[in-house]
Amino acid sequence: MSINIVNIDKELCTGCRRCAEVCPVNAIEGEEGKTQTINSDRCVICGQCVQICSVYASNFQDDITPIDVKKDERGMLESIKEPIFAAYNIGQAKLVKEALANPNLYKLVQCAPAVRVALAEEFGLPLGSLTPGKMAAALRSLNFDRIYDTNFAADLTIMEEGSELIKRVTEGGTLPMFTSCCPAWVKFAEQEYPELLNHLSSCKSPQQMGGAMIKTYGAKIDDIDPAKIFSVSVMPCTCKKFECDRPEMTDSGYKDVDVVLTTRELAQLIKDMGIDFKNLPDEEFDSALGNYTGAGTIFGVTGGVMEAALRTGYELITKEPIPNIDLEFIRGNEGVRTAVVKVGNLELKVAMVSGLKNVVPLLEDVKKGKCDFHFIEVMTCPEGCVSGGGQPKLLLEECRPIAYKARKAATYEHDSKLELRKSHENPDIVKLYDEFLGEPLGHKSHHLLHTKYVSRKE
Amino acid sequence: MKTISNSFVIADSSKCIGCKVCEVVCFTVHNENNNVIATVGTVTTPIIPRLNVIKGENFVVPIQCRHCDDAPCANVCPVRAIKQVNNTIVINENDCIGCKTCLMACPVGAIDLLPQYDNGEEVIQLNLKQEGENGLEETGRNIAYKCDLCKESGKPACVNACPQKALTLVNISTEKKSRNKAAALSLLQTFKK
Repeated sequence: MSINIVNIDKELCTGCRRCAEVCPVNAIEGEEGKTQTINSDRCVICGQCVQICSVYASNFQDDITPIDVKKDERGMLESIKEPIFAAYNIGQAKLVKEALANPNLYKLVQCAPAVRVALAEEFGLPLGSLTPGKMAAALRSLNFDRIYDTNFAADLTIMEEGSELIKRVTEGGTLPMFTSCCPAWVKFAEQEYPELLNHLSSCKSPQQMGGAMIKTYGAKIDDIDPAKIFSVSVMPCTCKKFECDRPEMTDSGYKDVDVVLTTRELAQLIKDMGIDFKNLPDEEFDSALGNYTGAGTIFGVTGGVMEAALRTGYELITKEPIPNIDLEFIRGNEGVRTAVVKVGNLELKVAMVSGLKNVVPLLEDVKKGKCDFHFIEVMTCPEGCVSGGGQPKLLLEECRPIAYKARKAATYEHDSKLELRKSHENPDIVKLYDEFLGEPLGHKSHHLLHTKYVSRKE
Repeated sequence: MKTISNSFVIADSSKCIGCKVCEVVCFTVHNENNNVIATVGTVTTPIIPRLNVIKGENFVVPIQCRHCDDAPCANVCPVRAIKQVNNTIVINENDCIGCKTCLMACPVGAIDLLPQYDNGEEVIQLNLKQEGENGLEETGRNIAYKCDLCKESGKPACVNACPQKALTLVNISTEKKSRNKAAALSLLQTFKK
């Protein structure tokens, strides 16, 4: 990567090292009081530093590069007036704005589950406001041709990953299996524990599964040349920008996801285009790749992937619906949570890790052959994606736990109110397999929805 | 007769790490009228804090108003925009004419003269215009800003927000009493048999 996604502005940094305190991989280097640098070999691009940095560029300081120039260097839209800080991520909103005005492109978008419980905060609505309808309406106003959704792709991920887990458990495959939807976690594993990469699920993340489907199935059903598709994803995450640029993410025959915008960038684009977000009436997502179940939407919180997988896995194994859909014992906060779930005759030992530092003891156990979990969910960010590096940045630290709690609650609330709450019950998922993919872990799935990892260790 | 001295916030330079959280928080709590809610995305005006983190070769520390009991700023303001309210020296921003006399009078440099904003926009001068490229243009009001001890809420936001607990709200009589006590105790030790 020639351009780093997450950076520290040398002119602004005061060396307070609050970023270094939250960095899960100790990638931030420098003396106290002096400007800090990010070691890009260690950095997993999670963006927690971007979230915490409080050193802003003052409009009244005349001994630094003008703020307009800095904004341009960072890829920010000119009209945006919000303050900029020392730790930042580069953006692609300008690129997306240009594409949206290009009539020769067929523009499709997908949004992550965590975006819809935080986007509204950028428009002054309360922390954790749930606004999927306004989000879809805003995307349509922006001139996207199809409003698809990462939550649909999350349902798809459960089909593949659930089947993969069952296969490994029943056929003596590599266990424990780790989730692979968090790209910062994957990068970390590739950098620090490449010998354990065979433990990772071979499933792509929902973003990338969505991207691959958009340029194959999506192109087919709309009778569009996939070469003309411009596929955008909106994520609460800065590392997803790295993920979409991974050279192997081109199984559709094209770059599966062309550009990733963060939640903040989407809000900026909406403002730049003069859309009055607060007063938008609710709209629907487009079907085929846009309708989702509650299981898909809980991917945005720690424990969500596990709970979604269990809701489907239980039924796949026992052929009976899970007695209780709400698996409260799986839910929780930063750290390592464990549980034993009785699935028919099987006692499934599962763990949920949030906060990347917390995965290390588990990995060391795996190396020693001492880890007896079957399935482990790993999220880099403290409470899962709702606390991601690309989410609305809080002005007051005291609001942080309130915001995370509210976004999580909104996520579970959304899940509880949806008609369908299990991935395998999504009729569009059933249709996708019937019409196009065949069956989970089948030939087509293997080609489009699964991936390989690469050792990044020196 | 005024019996209680004004309170003020002071910083411990040995604890300050220069993070500017105090500046961000100060701005945030003073800009509800500019639609600043909880996130950076709601900010549409420049960040104008009422305390300033000063960084030198070997030190970093925020400097802010001392709420002088005999405030020079209040004493020199030609339009009486600066007053004592409860135990705080407060500038009435709407009366301020931007003459900068208070800025010149303040011995710690606590006052800054910066644009006034309301509802996310610069407040424009009633009649005063400036020469622009296309003739006379509107120009914004500049006013004096300084720490007001968060008079709206009564609790200085910077003190609670500092991650290093470098800022304290000083109560003169409590401070004096605790130092007197410590001094008395140390004298006691000196004279113990």
